[in-house]
Formats: sequence, C-alpha cells, structure tokens
Amino acid sequence: MGEKVFMQGNQAMAESAIRAGCKLFFGYPITPSSEVPEYYANVMETRPEEGVMFIQAETEVAAFNMVAGACATGHRAMTATAGPGFDLGQEAMSYMSAADIPSVVVEVQRPGPGDGEILAAQGDYFSAVKGGGHGDYCNLVLAPYSVQEMCELMQEAFDLAQKYSNPVVLLTDATLAKMRESVELPGYKEAPDPKTVRNALTGCKGREPHKVVTCGDGAVQWEEFNLRLQEKYAKIAANEVRYQEYNMEDADIILVAYGSVARVCESAMKLAREEGIKVGMIRPISLWPFPNVAFEGKKGKKFLVVELSAGQMVQDVKLAVDDKKDVTFFGKLGGTTPSPKVVLEQIKKLV
Amino acid sequence: MKKELLFSGIGGQGVITLGETLCDAAIKAGYNVTFVPFYGQEKRGGRTMCNIVISDGVESPIISEADIMLIFDERSLHDYQDLMSPDGTLIINSSMVQIEPTVECKDIRKVPFNDLAVEVGNAKTANVVAMGYIAKLLPEIPYEIIKEKVADSFAAKPKLIPVNMEAIQKGYEL
Repeated sequence: MGEKVFMQGNQAMAESAIRAGCKLFFGYPITPSSEVPEYYANVMETRPEEGVMFIQAETEVAAFNMVAGACATGHRAMTATAGPGFDLGQEAMSYMSAADIPSVVVEVQRPGPGDGEILAAQGDYFSAVKGGGHGDYCNLVLAPYSVQEMCELMQEAFDLAQKYSNPVVLLTDATLAKMRESVELPGYKEAPDPKTVRNALTGCKGREPHKVVTCGDGAVQWEEFNLRLQEKYAKIAANEVRYQEYNMEDADIILVAYGSVARVCESAMKLAREEGIKVGMIRPISLWPFPNVAFEGKKGKKFLVVELSAGQMVQDVKLAVDDKKDVTFFGKLGGTTPSPKVVLEQIKKLV
Repeated sequence: MKKELLFSGIGGQGVITLGETLCDAAIKAGYNVTFVPFYGQEKRGGRTMCNIVISDGVESPIISEADIMLIFDERSLHDYQDLMSPDGTLIINSSMVQIEPTVECKDIRKVPFNDLAVEVGNAKTANVVAMGYIAKLLPEIPYEIIKEKVADSFAAKPKLIPVNMEAIQKGYEL
C-alpha cells in the first residue's frame, strides 16, 4: 500500500491490474469501460519499463479469444468490456471454463437490453453469475462497491483465477467505473513464472506436453469431465464466499445490495438509524459463490433487496433465506439510480 | 460535515471540469470526496451533470438533496430542480436561463456568469467565475486552495492562468 490519490474507478483498477503483473490487455472500446484500454495504451507509451502490451482487437469476440490464448500460456491477461461486449465473449467464457484457463474479465454494467444508455445498471447479473454461455459452468464473480475495493479485488482476481484455473469476472457498473474518489493504490505484486502455472503452454522440451483442451470424447467421458468441473466448483463454493455485514446485531430490516447501489443503501441505512429504524445490511461481494451463509439463522427478519435491475440477485436471496415471503424487492431500471432518501422511503414501507 | 452538490449544464460549458477541480481542492483540504459524472453519448452539446459529496466519512456517491446546485442551462433546471434541498442554495446562470424555477427553495441566486466572464475579458471563463461564487459558499474549503487548484488545471496553458485568476476573484467578490 502506498500513495493516496483521487482517481477514477476504471483508471485505478487498470493501474492495480498492471501492478498485479497483468501486462497483457486485449480489448475493444465500449463505454463505460473504455478508460481501461485507454489506460493500458497510455502506459504502454509512457512507461515502457512496465512491459505492458495492449492490443485493440477487431471485435470483442477476438479480444476474449486473445485473452484465452495469452492466459493458456501462463501469463496474466485480461479484457474489460460492457454488457454488449460481454455477450460476444460468451463463447470464449464457456470454452475457458471447460479448458481450465485462468482468465480475468471486467464487466462494467450498463442498461439494456439491446443497445441501452451508458449509465449504471445491474441487469447483467444473470449473464455473469449464471453463465451466459452454454453448458454447466460457473464464473467466479466478484462485485466491488468502491474504487478502493475495485483495486483490491482486481489484484485478487488474478490470484483466484490461477489458484482454481478458472475465469474470474469482476462485475462493476457505470457509476463505479466513472466515479472518482480517494484511493490508496495497492503495491506491485510479482506474477508467478508462467512455467509454474498449472498446465500452462510454455514449451514442452524435457517434459510431457501440456494440452489445453475440453473433452472431445463420448458421453461417458463427457460426464466424467463435467463431474471433475463440478468438483472444482464445489471447492470454490466452499472457500471463496465473500460478503460484508452491517449492523446485524439488532436489525429488524436487512438491506441486501451489491455494487454502487450498496453505497446508496449504506447511506439509507444511516438515515433510517437516525430515525430509530433498526436497519442492517448484507452486501454480497462474491456473487458466485453466493453468500448463502449470511442469510442463515435470520428467521423473522425482513429483507429488502435493492438492485438496478428488474430483479435478478433477489432470486438468489430467496433461495438463501428461510422463508421467501420475508423478501421484498425494489429495483430501478434504464440507468436510473435511487438516492438514499428514495431507499429510505422503501424501508419505511416495511416498518 | 457533509455537503451534497449537483452541477449541471451542456457539454463544453466546463461544468465537469469545475466539479473535478473543486474535488481536488476539497481533498487537499482533508475531506472525503466522491465525484460521479453523468453524460450522454455526445462529446459536445449533450447533457453533463455531476454529483459531488464532500464529507468526513464514507457516504453514498449518489445525492439525495443538493445543498448547492449550479444550473448552467434551462434543460438542467427542468431536469434537476426537484433534487434541491429546501434549505440549500440554488445558483442559476441567468445569462443562459430565462425560465423561472418552480422548486421551493429559500435561497435562489441568479448570476449572469457568461456576461461576467465577458467583463473579465474571456467568455470561456464563465465556469471559473462560478467556481469563485461557490467558493464563497464553502468556507470549509480554504479559498487559497481552490485558487491553487484552478491554476493547476491550466498547467498546460500557463498563459491562461492570469485571466482565470481574475475570473475566480470576480465570482468570489460578488
């Protein structure tokens, strides 16, 4: 840790990725993620000592496949995109999951469907968390709620990807991406030698060749192959659940939110407490694996799930609570974000 | 302390730059600051708005009610006046806004920032005149620091620093 700077989310996150040893960036510009490729392009020019390489791909399809190729060689690489670009990357996401490729993808959410505004939204929860591509696979999905946390989770994403040989998605939104706030930039980390990364293609002189493949055999083999993937997901689910709890000791009403709208909810919780309403909050940080454990033993509490969507994460909350009748949903659509006072009004409806 | 601010105008008027520069000064004065810009796809002529929260702690970057709102064009007044705190200060650029605000707010100030900028000798300094005016309403942030940050923002064009120092002083003395 070191210098405190006033920095934009996308730029601080890009700097953190470079400091985590991610020297390879492949991307196709799309608002509100474009400052990430721009930052890499700029560092490639102005700080040659970093050894950064940026390639602007012809499409997101190509960018995701470039990431797959680079990560298969044991190097740290990533792309950053918004919803429409993430759609195009799904073929590669599915393949990278099957082939155990330790990749990192940043998805900056904006509204949809189709084209959409360039403001904040959370309508891509399903495509990131439930697997937007085909087959039974899981991305490890992390959701920061401040510029500081964007930096920390960005660095951790590379470690997790390599630890589990699995794609990691950092799911942010336009507010986090564009906002500027004080941040203590994380320090430099040494990326592991590609030769030590599991199954990396580094040249097979003197050893058995590594193969980056899926299964490509009959049904029996495909079943075994899938069961092995499921074992990996069970291990991630057991070890990588992250969430933050606020004021749970005496809370009657529990807000549930992630990303930028969790910041709004945190202020709404303070406003409610000032009026004597006992409000707490659960903030999922890992969206997959979802923090089911945070909802255990909360019988009789009321849950208010706030999202910038028509109701996506709320489905996982309903699966996690004792009684889904305790769950109320409040969503905003199209690039609008509720203010703390608007969330407070929703809280009061439950009192 | 906690102040919620909203500045809004048309792309090219310098509203976002004004917000960023004020944030730099507030940080230097030791506060926690969040800055969230909102704009459309257009580079110029589109909507530009920003939410700024200056506080001692961690707060929502999205404001509930503006303690200070700066409005640089009519569409902005129409779109955002409902976010005005009844106890806050609504500052309207009367060079560009002819319509009357409908929101209930005790303290409405109409200031012809563009005309004042012309008086200073550079029509492009309207946002800096506004900065001086806002500085007076935010005594928590030392005026000297705000001036220093305005000067810093012209580091690449030092010839423009004197006229902008004149502009900020003009706004401050209104």
